[in-house]
Amino acid sequence: MAEQLTLGAESIIFRLDQWDREFILKHRPPKPYLLKAIDDLLKLSRTNRECKMLTVARSLGVPTPAVLWIDRKQHTIAMDFINGTQLKQLVSEASERKLRELCEEFGRLIGLLHDGGVVHGDPTTSNVIVDKQSKVWLIDFGLAEMNATVEMKGVDIHLMRRAFETTHWDLEDTMLESALVGYRRTMREEAEEVLSRANEIRTRGRYH
Amino acid sequence: MPLICLGLEGTAHSFGAGIVSGDGTVLSNVWDMYSPPTGGIHPREASRHHSDVGPTVIRNALERAGISPQEINLIAFSRGPGLGPCLRTTATIARTLALRLSVPLVGVNHCIAHIEIGCLESAFEDPVTVYVSGGNTQIIAYAGKRYRTFGETLDIAVGNMLDSFGRAVGMRFPAGPEIELKAEKASSYHQLPYSVKGMDLSYSGMLTAARKLHSEGTPLSEICFSVQETAFGMLAEIAERAIAHTKKRELLLTGGVARNDRLTDILKGVANRHDARFHRVSPPLAGDQGAMIAWTGVVQHRAGDSLKISDSHVLPKWRTDEQDIVWREVDG
Repeated sequence: MAEQLTLGAESIIFRLDQWDREFILKHRPPKPYLLKAIDDLLKLSRTNRECKMLTVARSLGVPTPAVLWIDRKQHTIAMDFINGTQLKQLVSEASERKLRELCEEFGRLIGLLHDGGVVHGDPTTSNVIVDKQSKVWLIDFGLAEMNATVEMKGVDIHLMRRAFETTHWDLEDTMLESALVGYRRTMREEAEEVLSRANEIRTRGRYH
Repeated sequence: MPLICLGLEGTAHSFGAGIVSGDGTVLSNVWDMYSPPTGGIHPREASRHHSDVGPTVIRNALERAGISPQEINLIAFSRGPGLGPCLRTTATIARTLALRLSVPLVGVNHCIAHIEIGCLESAFEDPVTVYVSGGNTQIIAYAGKRYRTFGETLDIAVGNMLDSFGRAVGMRFPAGPEIELKAEKASSYHQLPYSVKGMDLSYSGMLTAARKLHSEGTPLSEICFSVQETAFGMLAEIAERAIAHTKKRELLLTGGVARNDRLTDILKGVANRHDARFHRVSPPLAGDQGAMIAWTGVVQHRAGDSLKISDSHVLPKWRTDEQDIVWREVDG
């Protein structure tokens, strides 16, 4: 039986119990309010991209759910169910030490992706899962891209910072600081160039 | 004596004066938009326009409201963000009036005023706001005593993109309405760069591609159609991400580009999918005008906010999330 877990911005997530195992079905339903040509293109490209990038990320050492099968007609991916909690929900209850540890690991994983030329595309705390053993997983790779430039990595860091700022405003500094410790550790000397680009990106787009 | 606030808006191309009473009745709302015969907006010329038309616009606002200057007991002005010269001209008029009438002065954040006037009109308490205009493209929601920008453009605003494209194909400023009319006549879609990054988006690649289609001789109506569908589809996606992320149940569309019917339809669909209520700010209150400044001045004043003349310098880069929202009770 499939049970609906969440209605996301572009997908519906079901949990499926079958063969004594739990799976996740990520289905991208049609959006009737979009032009069909655009909707079709997005559903297909995001599904394909997510499938591929979950595996690419794994090969870079980033824990991601394994893809089991894909239904291209229904724009549905079946993947492992990670039994854990979104970092977003853990933030308020975790001790400062634990929070620092988790954010540092989040930053380290983003660093692993960037070091391998990949950007996540939507690095918010909703897309970080912490399992029972405190292992940190990244999910939601529908906006991920390969062959990432410094600009693309800078945007990724900007988005991570934005997520801390809008959703965890009272702990923003702690979380960002810890994430950047982890990020610098994997990105080493390349980190500074990306971080200064992220600062520059932050000031663009705004009225000036 | 009932509270009557005169709000002055002058952050970019328009100078506006609006008069709003303490109970939220818009008594008058007059504005004059600077539209250069050719090309775009030059900040200095726009500010000259504001000082030229300012006195007449204010006089008209008083006449239409049927009140005398002495009945005004609060002056609010757009303190930022915006074009420096325009802001300074508007602030000078506001300070002069506050001194002359001996009434308090309140400095209002232009972006927040767009949200507050929308909340007044819709009776929404805690919306996700899609604020789209010539200078701004932001997805804003209230959280922890601030209006926070959940997403925005990484390069140019959606209205700026429409105007720049319009200018390249010989339309007058603002080009949005003409693009909308042309788009209604077409249904052939030409693929354009669709660029969403998290809750941010980017329009510069799309603009370049649209201009290229034009130079290749693609029918203008088809380009306009494709531009609208792509640009608004991207906005729908980031709005939807913000709703899914914040779990809020109200979606507010405001800013000059809110006048676009196609964008309105698309966002209605987004709200529907998430069981959220939807409101598009009515055309007279959607663009840059003084009533939104006056109303936000009223709520700020009631919360005890006021600005000394000596501290009333303008803030051209004032970010939405830099203003403490002292007047809201909901905790988002």
